[in-house]
Amino acid sequence: MADYVANPLRVFWSSAVLAKRALFAWLSPGLWLMQLFTMSLFSIAFFVYVAKYVQNPDVSVAFVAVGNALQSVAYVSIFAVCNITGEEKEQGTLQGVLVSPANRFSIFVGRAMFQIVNGLATVGIAFFYAAFLFGVDFSSANLLTLAAVVLMTTFAMTGFGLMLSSLGMYLRTSMVIANIFLFIGLLFNGVNFPISYLPAFLQPISYAMPMTYGTEAARAAVSGASIADVSGLLASEALIGIVAILLGYVMLRAFEHLARSKGTMERLY
Amino acid sequence: MARLRAVWTAFRHQALHFFADPQWLIPNIIAPFILTLVALMLFRSASGNVVLYAILGGGMMGMWGNTLYASGFSIQSERWWGTLESVLAVPTSMIWIIAGRAIWNSMVGILNGFFILVIAVTVFQTPLNLNDVPLFILAFVLTLISLACLGLVFSSAFVLTRSAGVLTNGLEFPIYVGTGTMFPIALLPFWTQPLAFSLGPTWGIDAIRYAALSDYSSGLTPGYWGDLAIMAVLSVCYLVIAVWLFKQVDHRARRDANLGRY
Repeated sequence: MADYVANPLRVFWSSAVLAKRALFAWLSPGLWLMQLFTMSLFSIAFFVYVAKYVQNPDVSVAFVAVGNALQSVAYVSIFAVCNITGEEKEQGTLQGVLVSPANRFSIFVGRAMFQIVNGLATVGIAFFYAAFLFGVDFSSANLLTLAAVVLMTTFAMTGFGLMLSSLGMYLRTSMVIANIFLFIGLLFNGVNFPISYLPAFLQPISYAMPMTYGTEAARAAVSGASIADVSGLLASEALIGIVAILLGYVMLRAFEHLARSKGTMERLY
Repeated sequence: MARLRAVWTAFRHQALHFFADPQWLIPNIIAPFILTLVALMLFRSASGNVVLYAILGGGMMGMWGNTLYASGFSIQSERWWGTLESVLAVPTSMIWIIAGRAIWNSMVGILNGFFILVIAVTVFQTPLNLNDVPLFILAFVLTLISLACLGLVFSSAFVLTRSAGVLTNGLEFPIYVGTGTMFPIALLPFWTQPLAFSLGPTWGIDAIRYAALSDYSSGLTPGYWGDLAIMAVLSVCYLVIAVWLFKQVDHRARRDANLGRY
């Protein structure tokens, strides 16, 4: 009985360690740091300058900077996590992973663990830029609430990324899906403008994505809201994250079955 | 003549690759496409010319995004496939092969501009009244060529690194910010402006806006023809740098024998 618990945990841990080692095997630490420090800077800068130029009364610099600072987690939690299966396929190791008796859930969630740490660091740096480069006033911010929002958003978005990653098992590449969902959040999640700007028939899509709740909660935290004040938003976000992980697991098994039966597992181009 | 034939063959080869797997267009242009839609949402209360300003910027981002991604990944893909050494070893210099690809990639970027145009007209109902169509087309074509030249510089640099993909991702937003695709570069801190002025697309988009917008008041001082002249000089500089870089890359790749390493 103990093995039923210990084995998945062991697989989970070794998968997490392996993912970190694999990342630094092809990416030098210097380049990783450069990516960490510049990725969010320029995406925030782009929208802040657009907001300054447009001078839309609903969209202040703080609105855009805080939204994009939190959205920067998508670069790792959506893009990197979504590409997990695609990268295995690209490297020719997907079949080796899938013929092992190891628990699939442990393998793929383990692979995503380092990206959660990476995501937290990315968002931390992005909020630093928001405060010190783009002049967002954090004097009345509730930092504990903000930390809780960042943690929950990173978890939920990683779950969302894992769900998308399952598609990479069947499709030729996960890169296309990863790119679409990396940027689509900028349009649907209230990062750069209020969701009410979207046509009514598109708004349900916004509320099916965890980042929507995260951005609203982050702005409330910067205005001084307590954890209790944003508990509803955090609960919704957590729920979507958990559903995404569970749904992702079911999709992973379904697509694995489909890829096996159709012989598309090795298909790349 | 042999070089032109190599350019044409590489152009055709890249086109065939594209048609064999057109889904790769999505990663190349999705960012500029979405960024333009976001900007259009923000500009929604603005008048016609301001919206056209954003649409032109979006088209520019699309061409630039495609040039950058295709430059980066055409090298990286060769490396993955194990064909990079063979391409470098053929008697034709690699720069002509990459040039053919870069021209195709810049052309495909036009597609993004077209998609944005369709969305702008159908969804945002923006009137598309170009002020001077012949000057607009001239600026557009020259900007396309300038982008292809810049793509050559990036391609040569990417041959040397196994992190071309990371660099490609990392360069996208800095260029969108630095070239003022969606806002006047006067808004940027002063110290960043020399970098902005060293990029052909900065002058290209300005010339395009001079030709397209009747009341374009926030343009750069040289004006339409000045923009084109500066862009032409910069494009020649890019070509010289690219030729020099490719020679260095060729030498270094043969000396270090690590071209295929990733």
